[in-house]
Amino acid sequence: MSVLDSTPPVRGLTPWIGVLVWILAILFVLMLAAGAPFGGALEGFLSGAFGGRRFAYLMTTLSRATLIVGMALAVMLSFRAGLFNIGGEGQLVLGGLVAALVGVYLPGPPLLVVAAGILAGMAAGAAWAVLAGVLQLYVGVPLLVGSLLLNYPARYLASYVVGHPLRDVASGLPQSHLVPVEAWLPFFPGTRLDIGILFVVAAAVFAIVYSHTTVHGYRARMTGHSAPFAEASGLPVRRLALQTLAMSGAIAGLVGAIAVFGIHHRYIDGMLVQPLYAWTGIVAVLLVKMIPWAVPLSGFFFAALQTGAAGMERAAGVPKELAITMQAVIILFVASRLTGLHFGGGAGEGGRPGEGGDGT
Amino acid sequence: MRVELSDITVRFGDLTAVDRVSLDFRSGEVHALVGENGAGKTTVMNALFGLVRSASGSIAVDGETCRWASPQDAIARGLGMVHQHFMLQDSMTVLENIVLCNEPTGRFGFVDFRAARAHMAEVATAYGIEVDLDATVGALSLGQRQVVEILKVLYRHADMLILDEPTAVLTPQEKDRLFGVLRNFRRDGKAIVLITHKLDEVMELADRVSVMRGGRLISSAPVAETTKTAIARDIVGGELPAEIARAERAPGAVVLSVDGLTVRSRGRTVGPISFDVRAGEIVGVAGVSGNGQAELVQALTGLRRAHGGSVRLAGRPLDGLDVGARRARGMSYIPEDRQRVGLALEARVSENAAIGRMDQPGFRRGPFRIRSAMNRFAAELIARYRIKVAGPEARAATMSGGNKQKLVVGRELSRDTPLVVVENPTWGVDIGAIEFIHSELVRMRDAGHAILMVSTELDEVLALSDRILVLYEGRISGEVARAEADRTAVGQLMVSHGPSAAEIAA
Amino acid sequence: MGLEALFDPAFAASLPRFITPILLAALGGALCERAGVFNIALEGFVLVGAFSAVLGAYFFGSAAMGALTAVFGGVLMGLIFAEFHLRRPGDPIVVSIALNLLAAGLTTYLLRAIFDVAGAFRDPAIVGFEPIHIPLVAAIPLVGPVLSGQSALFYVALGAAVFMHVFFARHRLGLRLRAAGENPAALVAGGVSPERVRLWALVLCGALCGLAGAQLSIANVNLFVENMSAGRGWIAVVAVLLTRGRPLPLLAIVCLFGFVDSLSFRVQGLGWPQQFTDMMPYVATLAVLVVLSWWRLRRSA
Repeated sequence: MSVLDSTPPVRGLTPWIGVLVWILAILFVLMLAAGAPFGGALEGFLSGAFGGRRFAYLMTTLSRATLIVGMALAVMLSFRAGLFNIGGEGQLVLGGLVAALVGVYLPGPPLLVVAAGILAGMAAGAAWAVLAGVLQLYVGVPLLVGSLLLNYPARYLASYVVGHPLRDVASGLPQSHLVPVEAWLPFFPGTRLDIGILFVVAAAVFAIVYSHTTVHGYRARMTGHSAPFAEASGLPVRRLALQTLAMSGAIAGLVGAIAVFGIHHRYIDGMLVQPLYAWTGIVAVLLVKMIPWAVPLSGFFFAALQTGAAGMERAAGVPKELAITMQAVIILFVASRLTGLHFGGGAGEGGRPGEGGDGT
Repeated sequence: MRVELSDITVRFGDLTAVDRVSLDFRSGEVHALVGENGAGKTTVMNALFGLVRSASGSIAVDGETCRWASPQDAIARGLGMVHQHFMLQDSMTVLENIVLCNEPTGRFGFVDFRAARAHMAEVATAYGIEVDLDATVGALSLGQRQVVEILKVLYRHADMLILDEPTAVLTPQEKDRLFGVLRNFRRDGKAIVLITHKLDEVMELADRVSVMRGGRLISSAPVAETTKTAIARDIVGGELPAEIARAERAPGAVVLSVDGLTVRSRGRTVGPISFDVRAGEIVGVAGVSGNGQAELVQALTGLRRAHGGSVRLAGRPLDGLDVGARRARGMSYIPEDRQRVGLALEARVSENAAIGRMDQPGFRRGPFRIRSAMNRFAAELIARYRIKVAGPEARAATMSGGNKQKLVVGRELSRDTPLVVVENPTWGVDIGAIEFIHSELVRMRDAGHAILMVSTELDEVLALSDRILVLYEGRISGEVARAEADRTAVGQLMVSHGPSAAEIAA
Repeated sequence: MGLEALFDPAFAASLPRFITPILLAALGGALCERAGVFNIALEGFVLVGAFSAVLGAYFFGSAAMGALTAVFGGVLMGLIFAEFHLRRPGDPIVVSIALNLLAAGLTTYLLRAIFDVAGAFRDPAIVGFEPIHIPLVAAIPLVGPVLSGQSALFYVALGAAVFMHVFFARHRLGLRLRAAGENPAALVAGGVSPERVRLWALVLCGALCGLAGAQLSIANVNLFVENMSAGRGWIAVVAVLLTRGRPLPLLAIVCLFGFVDSLSFRVQGLGWPQQFTDMMPYVATLAVLVVLSWWRLRRSA
């Protein structure tokens, strides 16, 4: 019993220095394992994340951040409501697939096609998330497992659709046909960055305003703090859960649509799965303890980590998977330091031995 | 055996839970340790038992100073503790529970249950205790579980037995049986410490009584040399609280009408239950915990689906409605678990206060909530119910148990609904909060609200109720009017189906 | 096509290939579940096990050494879990997500750093497990091909399931594990640290998951592929949740999963697109999960 050790969390920088030292030490060991030159690696990292000719790499970072932040926002809305929706990947994939199919096969003016594609993608993502919610609420399948298992059918379904019936056979790759050029999201003038980022900025503004100022956001957060509390207080917990999941899935679907119309201009098998966007989004939310305004910053940070690692690979031959590894290391050290980040049931009254329980 | 505590001090962060307490326990003596919730009784015993480390002070057993790293050292020196919350595994058998943490092992760490069984047979015959070692603990009554706890201590050859509020969950009859066993132990030369806040028990059993208040030892004297009033005054530190005044009033119209309500939960059926609650009366529901109270309350509030029967509020049926709809029709609910159900601890006080009020005018503008209105409302509750907290923006977790409970009580009572359903409203709160909450409930009754109060604290039921219903095995075993209610009569109904059960079934 | 195609000896012989890794991982998960550790990082544990197994089998040139290094890798993951969840107050779900990610990143990173290949690593120097033929058993119709001619790890897995049943019922640590999951306060009061008991659960879980990984990489095949655990750890998590960590029901449900899984492998020969056969294990798991959850929900209501 370490009752006396349970001093209140130290406010200040000292513990964070320890964390930083650990993280850097692990980074050092990993780079040593790859036999990389440090100076070159650091230079490669910085230029890969923020540099390049006319900041081309910075634009890549922003482009990647668009997707990661979008996924993080989707996850944040669920997590704050106490919904462990880790099926963002499936929602993202279906959103992207449906958006691409609409983009390729829907005739009509380009603007309408883009709008329809994005909306259809959002609807697909929302539907997939709501399905996981229905399984939890009406069938009793825990959301955590249900939403995760739904990732796989989505992944393989998309893979099948662009691999068989609707494949661009001539390209020789498992991918859909290209969306007509007129329906591509335009670049910002003079850059290679498409305007998809604006959609995510809008989503971020929406998520922040929603979380802090709306009745729905307040109720969802109370449900997240304690579902029994919300239920006993008469909140419509089921409806709140399904609506929140729909919003969350819609944002994930939006991200898929942006990736299609803005970046790849078609659905390529694995394009949304392999880069682990969904998981990085989760990690980005956990890093900042689900605080809405900090989520975009944290998402950008991880995007920079990934593009920087790619730069490091080009410059110094360090495998770029270092980024994923370091994401995990960072979250391990940081999340285990943050108190109040608990999913597995709230803190009980009997948290410490002693009568009365809840202090004075 | 003689155990001495000298100058024990225990701190939790900034809070001094036990402040330089010295106590002295000896063989063949029942030593009662009394005081209100939060006085430090359990903490000082946890320090003696090695569960909590003391900041200063020393423990001596038979004159030899001891320091233990864990309870196992204390157990090795012959100390045994029966905790207030049973330290049992419901899914395991009695024998498995007894040997746990002290397993006789054979080869490769496998437990030698045969040796344990033989040893237990010895212990059981020595004290004349009968128990089925192969029964699953989850299937035992609370009284039988207490026996298992005591057997656990005996199995470890304890010479000193610490019992923390052992009668809290027992019926009066089970209590008598327990005290019989404890008298045997005293005769056998064991030292017994009884932590309690029930003075009748002290007078009945103890040889010596020590009173704690606010972490300090206030007095320690042989029971023969003190009086109940003197002990009570030491406990509260001043004059005794006056009995709560209640208006004489005839009950009004029926507000809540329950007819043949049945609830199924985990393979067992609660009900059929039928009763009415009228305006201006408090109906208390007594009973040992786990006899259907939770199911009844959940079915009334809409948290659980009823299987049969009907519930009417002010004449309108509630069947099939969800929690929100029932509350909108005029029901408030004070749950027993304030930590999970009553409050969202991580949220602000204002957010906890305004829950369920967002559809009222003034709290929202379109889809947006009005934060200033929420804060203003929370501030009103804080003032009106004398809640000690930094302010509406503080996190709910920063409040003490009593203040948390006052916030829940205030939030629900301020809704001013015809019916209030109350569940163990003073569980684990300090005496000041208990008094305040009780007087608020009586005030609501006097103002003409119907109150259904489910409580496992018999004294609370007896003190507040106009009528008392007793739940036993999921049904009402009897009803007692305030005038004829006494502990024995209600206690009898808590363990058997009384005559009125047949009437209700008919 | 005929049904007989599904029940030929080759099909029966393939069953254990699917059952073994999931069963081993699920048994590890059961230890955590019963001890009150919410470990959903089995996927990552298995992946690290698979990679470590290839390391051992390649550098020491023996399957046994591969299994040993796999155990080592799995235990290491268990210790990391313990460090961040038991010693530091990390939420188990957060730690699990991080460890799954760590396993995915680290195995790929090390694959490139050590062997300088991306995607997959195959090499004749990787010595895998040989099938063990049991003369008399092999002759039994239907069951014979299942029980004979399998890797040693299959028999280890079956033995572990039965042993764990006895372990929970009669072993000191088994008893304490159950107590740590049900009412840890009782352990504290008895002077036993629930944290220490949980540490043991995580270590043993790591060892079993390591073996599960070894089955994947040096018994089913002799190579390592990026992300080769491919959701099996998650299926194991589902099996653990459904059976609440009880070893014998666990064995039964994993056999059911394995049966459906190898069925899908089988129907691949019937001209279905590969994506559908790939999807089958997850859809089957989800279907079993839905049916059992629904049944439970109805029974409790």
